[in-house]
This record gives sequence, C-alpha cells and structure tokens, in this order.
Amino acid sequence: MKTEFIAEATSRQNELYREAAGSYGGALERLARGYEADPDRRRDLVQEIHLALWQSFGGFDARCSVRTWVYRVAHNVATSWVIREHRVNSRTLVGLEMLEALPSGNDGERGIDQRHALEKLLMLIQQLKPLDRQIILSYLEDMDAASIAEITGISPGNVATKIHRIKNVLASRFHKGGNHGK
Amino acid sequence: MESETGTDVRSLWKNQKVEPAPISLAELRQKAQKLEKRVLWRNLREYAASAIVIACFGYYIWRFPAPMIRFGCGLVIAGTLFMAYTLHKRGAARAVPAETALRSCLDFHRRELERQRDLLRGVWRWYLLPFVPGLAVFLLGLFRWTMKLPNAPAHARVIMITFGLTAAGCGLVFVAVGKLNQWAARKIQREIDGLDKLGKDS
Repeated sequence: MKTEFIAEATSRQNELYREAAGSYGGALERLARGYEADPDRRRDLVQEIHLALWQSFGGFDARCSVRTWVYRVAHNVATSWVIREHRVNSRTLVGLEMLEALPSGNDGERGIDQRHALEKLLMLIQQLKPLDRQIILSYLEDMDAASIAEITGISPGNVATKIHRIKNVLASRFHKGGNHGK
Repeated sequence: MESETGTDVRSLWKNQKVEPAPISLAELRQKAQKLEKRVLWRNLREYAASAIVIACFGYYIWRFPAPMIRFGCGLVIAGTLFMAYTLHKRGAARAVPAETALRSCLDFHRRELERQRDLLRGVWRWYLLPFVPGLAVFLLGLFRWTMKLPNAPAHARVIMITFGLTAAGCGLVFVAVGKLNQWAARKIQREIDGLDKLGKDS
C-alpha cells in the first residue's frame, strides 16, 4: 500500500516535471542567460534549476499555478547561484535606480544589429541585483505586474514602479535618440 | 500603454536562439546522487580536519606531562567537537526542495541572506570562542613548563618575548577574523534592510 502510494507520487512528480520542462525549457534557458554569462557554468546552472524543479514537484500542492511554481524555483535557485558567485568574485551589483541614473554611454546609437543589442541587454541584466534581475527577466517574458508580484513577493505597486524604471533604462539604451532622464 | 522600445526589446529577448538541452529523469537522479555525494564529502572533509586537530592535541596530552598543558589540550579538543557539532547541525538544516517554490523570491532571498548573516555574526560564538580558553590554558601551561626546563633561566627573556608575541599574534588573528566577519555581516544586513523596505509595501 505504502509502496503503491510512493510510486504514484513519484510518477506524478515525474509527469509534472516533464510537462514543465517541455513548456518552460526555452524560458529557463533564457532566464539562466540573465544570471550567468559563462556558457559552461550556465549549463551547470540550468541543470541545477532542472534538478531543483524535479525535486520540488515532489511537494507540489497546486496552491499556485505551475508557471508561478516554475519561475519561483528557477529564480530562487539562480539567486542562490548569484549570491554564491558574488561571494567568490565580489562583483558589485547595482539596482535599477542606479542604472536609471547612470548615463547610458551611447545614447542614440543607431543601426546596432540584433546580436549586439542582445549582448548589450544581457550585460545590463547581469549587473543587476537579484531582485531587480527577477523583475526585468519576468518583464521580458511578457508577464504582467500581478504575475511578477506573485512570483517575487513584491507588491504590484512596487513592481509597477520597477517596470517603469526598466522601461526608462531600456529606452535610454536601446531606443534611437533615447529618452534617458525622462 | 506599452512603449515601442519595451515591445522591441521583449521580442528581441523572446526570439533569441536558445537550444534547451533535454535532461532525462535518469540524468536528474544521477545528478541528485552526485550532489548528495558532494555534500557527504564536504562533511567528511570538515570532520577530517576536526579529527586532525583532535589527534594533534591528543598527542600533546600524551607527550607533555604538565597537567595545565593537558587541561588546555582537553579544552581545545572540546572546542573542536563543539565546532564540528555546530557545522553538522548547520549542514542538516538545509531547505527542503519544495521550499524553493513555496517561498516568494523576496522571502527566499531574504532567508538566504539571513542564513549567511547569522553564520558570519556567530563566528565568535561557534568558531573562535570555543578555542580561546583551550589555547590560552595550553600556551600558559607550555610557558610554565618551558620555564622549568634546566637551561630556561639563561634564556628567560627570549622565552617570555616569544610566548608574548605568540599569544599576541593569536589574539590579533582571532580579533581580525571576528571583525572581518562582523563587517561582512553588517554589509549583508544592509542588503536585508533594502529588501525589507521593498517588502513593507507588499
């Protein structure tokens, strides 16, 4: 009886993981890019996220959606990764507020190709503090303020303010002519 | 209303080329086992280091006849056991896998920082202080024993200076390690305060 129960729970855990990995595999790869620049280490991070996800589904109780569950696990694992790396490398991470106040350096840059733009975006994300990184990555995945608030635990009002800052930062760095400082 | 830049950058982000490498359940199980082994080895390394200290000071108990030195060695061994127990307890108190999903990122991040801060703050209590009485008694015992050696009176000044410098050096290292950890803990506390400010409106 007990063996049957364990087998059933494990099969449910495996099934949930397979579905999540299928639906969010690409998003998790993109998320890992925001946290780790080195491709080899990024592979390790992705595997760590998948392992945590699989293990976590053993305790999935549907109190939130699978999407929220997946993103929470992924961001939390990646945040622990950043904290660990930060302790080793002592890299200074900044907040959105500081990025917004900094001059972009090449406002009005024209004709940047997509690859260059993506590299620039990744560099921008990777210098952010974990919480700001979670918000910008969720924003880039098309999530609304309420969903981001549910994942991060920050109030929707604060998320909205952060998103406003993100838009300013992105505009100053990626829009032709830029509107930095507005 | 959505800005043009926001939409552009978001489509740039979502359309980037990613190749999700499928990870099989067998691979995940293997990785979980590897992780468990890594934790086991880390614990074994910590216990081995404690065993070396205990063996060294155990040898001193056998080697030196002076009761004060023996008592000091006993205290150092007790301090080492306490430290090993604290490390063991800390290792056992890791988060359960589902907790990574049940806690919001803000809460999880805060707890991770708190864990680090408490570890650094407690360095005096679990890492330094347990060794202070033992080392002090051991050094004092060793000093008295040395002073009783037949040719000690001729070198009393040198012996005193050597022991004084050793004691001061040990003290300095302990204080420096303690201060550095307190400084790091304060830095983490500032990060926690920043997160609290965000959480207050939540």
